[in-house]
Amino acid sequence: MAPSRSPLLHVFLVAPVVYLLAMVGFPILYNVAMSVQDVTLRNLAQLVRPFVGLDNFRELIGDPIFRKVFVNSLAFVGVNVAGQVSLGLLAALFFAESFAGAHFLRGLLLATWMLPGLVVGALWKWMFASQYGVVNFVLAALHLIREPVHWLSDPAVAMASVMIAHVWYIMPFSMILIAAALTAIPQDLYEAAALDGAGPLARFRYVTLPALRPTLLAVACLVTIYSMRAFDMIFALTQGGPLDSSNVLPLLSYQFSFQQFKFGMGAAVGTFAVVFVLAVAVVYVRTLKQDVRA
Amino acid sequence: MSIRKLLAGLAVVSCLMASEAIAQKVITLWHPYNAETDMIYYGIKTFNESQKDYRIEARLVPYTQLTAEMIKAVATGTPPDLVTLNDPVVASFASQEQLIDITDRIKNSKVINLSVYFKGPQISGVWEGRRYSIAREVNTLALYYNADLFRAKGLDPDKPPKTWAEVRAAAEKLTDPAGRVFGIGFCAHASEQSTFQFLPWLWQAGGSINRLDSPESIEALQFWTDLVQKGYASKDVINQQQNDVTNSFMAGNYAMAVGGPWELPRIQKDAKFDWRVTTLPVKDGKNIQASSLGGFHFAIPKGAKEIDGAFRAIEFMSTPAIFQDGWRSGLMAPRSDVEIKAPLWPKAYAVFREQMKYAIQRGPHPQWPDLSRPIQIAIQEALTGVKPPAQALKEAAQKIQPILAKQPL
Repeated sequence: MAPSRSPLLHVFLVAPVVYLLAMVGFPILYNVAMSVQDVTLRNLAQLVRPFVGLDNFRELIGDPIFRKVFVNSLAFVGVNVAGQVSLGLLAALFFAESFAGAHFLRGLLLATWMLPGLVVGALWKWMFASQYGVVNFVLAALHLIREPVHWLSDPAVAMASVMIAHVWYIMPFSMILIAAALTAIPQDLYEAAALDGAGPLARFRYVTLPALRPTLLAVACLVTIYSMRAFDMIFALTQGGPLDSSNVLPLLSYQFSFQQFKFGMGAAVGTFAVVFVLAVAVVYVRTLKQDVRA
Repeated sequence: MSIRKLLAGLAVVSCLMASEAIAQKVITLWHPYNAETDMIYYGIKTFNESQKDYRIEARLVPYTQLTAEMIKAVATGTPPDLVTLNDPVVASFASQEQLIDITDRIKNSKVINLSVYFKGPQISGVWEGRRYSIAREVNTLALYYNADLFRAKGLDPDKPPKTWAEVRAAAEKLTDPAGRVFGIGFCAHASEQSTFQFLPWLWQAGGSINRLDSPESIEALQFWTDLVQKGYASKDVINQQQNDVTNSFMAGNYAMAVGGPWELPRIQKDAKFDWRVTTLPVKDGKNIQASSLGGFHFAIPKGAKEIDGAFRAIEFMSTPAIFQDGWRSGLMAPRSDVEIKAPLWPKAYAVFREQMKYAIQRGPHPQWPDLSRPIQIAIQEALTGVKPPAQALKEAAQKIQPILAKQPL
């Protein structure tokens, strides 16, 4: 490399590294540090606080509410990934057909994804209301239910309601990513397959799906990350209740820190979530690399 | 006049204004009141006009975010000079030395005379014998009811239920599944709000937070549970905040609803029926009058720059003129000597004034959120049928006993 270029090169290298360290590295390290300290309002403004090792984590794992919320989070992420990849794929395939208004409607669908989570939460809270909500009204009109379903106040149902709302909320984003990948599949592949006698199903199975594989994986990773950080919508919809049946890790972390004044516990929950998201992010980056190679 | 002269004149004027601005010190105030009728706006305006030394600059922080914003301010060392705090969290901040001790300032104050304050709001501001806050306004819970629905079901709206048995009987009569009417509504939301709403019943039954697993305490939760399980109250009460409960009342879906005076302006505007308020019932055979005390306190956070100014503002806001203005938005004076002249909603005012005599404060306890949370969980467990009230409260008692052992209420 020519030495004359190196000073500027260093600037361009240093700037993003400094940015990442300050904006991403520091908060994560600070959070990890807090999760092994005894943090109170009194010492909140200081950096050096009593070290308690893994006490916060021990207390957390011993807490049945945390165990419940951890399982909730896994279920929430799992259902979101399955729901959004499959529904996103279906919607993308549907709008890839040429019919009047296909592009416009696809764009319109994306509008839901652009709404703030608090608005989406408030919207679904109305729709899920057991006495006057539109969901129960429609289900009753179709004679599918006799008694109103308590979407948000029945501990057995609340998680499902939150999942439905969140899949609806984020699905258009998955759809757009998949739709973009669909247009990138060369048409001659389909023509060649058709000439070889492949029907629509076989074309989907042997052309579309393999070509979409890296995209679907990437979407799955992104949806995992989006679902892991779901906070505002659930906050507006149920605040994690009833009885933490719809609570997830980020919300629990907030409750520990800002409602219970248990900052160390809140940070420990955050550390759990960071480790989880980091693992998924590694998978995502590897898929991206494979994507480039392919 | 030439342009040049005009510009010169403007320059002189702006210099004068600038020098005045420098001389005037700014008191930053955080508060959660978004209703323009709230007395805080009248207070700020008249305070700023009444003297030249200080000017209050207010920042509106949403009610649910206020505690979180204060925690962030503590973490970053950038607190306001003055803040309004919900009464049970005062002890959380005071016990961690995050509020300025105002004991001596109050003692020397010519404006604030503690002896005329109600007992509840007096106690809330004290931690280990020192005072850290003073009540800005108080509220308590009473029973709203829809007189039209009472008449429709053959009940006398002039004789509202006065005991638990009467409340239950009225709720049964008023419940009308076809008309989508529930007899009664209350807030069992998983937050401080449900503790606030449940404690009156706990105290009326003769129970206490110290003995959550006593038969009296269990009776209180059993009463709520029966109302929900018999269908006299909606199962949705566990997911409704207090304002949602009032919404359902105003929509005619709840014939009775437990609520505070702060709801009066809204009910006045939106409830299209003959609405009334009565004091909370007493338990048959016990006859203990009780309700919860709510409200906000003024406190000066540690790290405030204008402590003298902030205290002057507190004194100013504790005068009868400001309290008179408070009732416009349904806020009650913490001082027993302040009678609202020609109050809006005079009948409701009389009821809440009467109810205030029996309002009990929550805490003060530095770990109040840790005491409150198990109560919220027990309420939700019982109302959803996950656990019977006795078991739910027994487990709640087990959770709070170690905390109370370290630091009694």
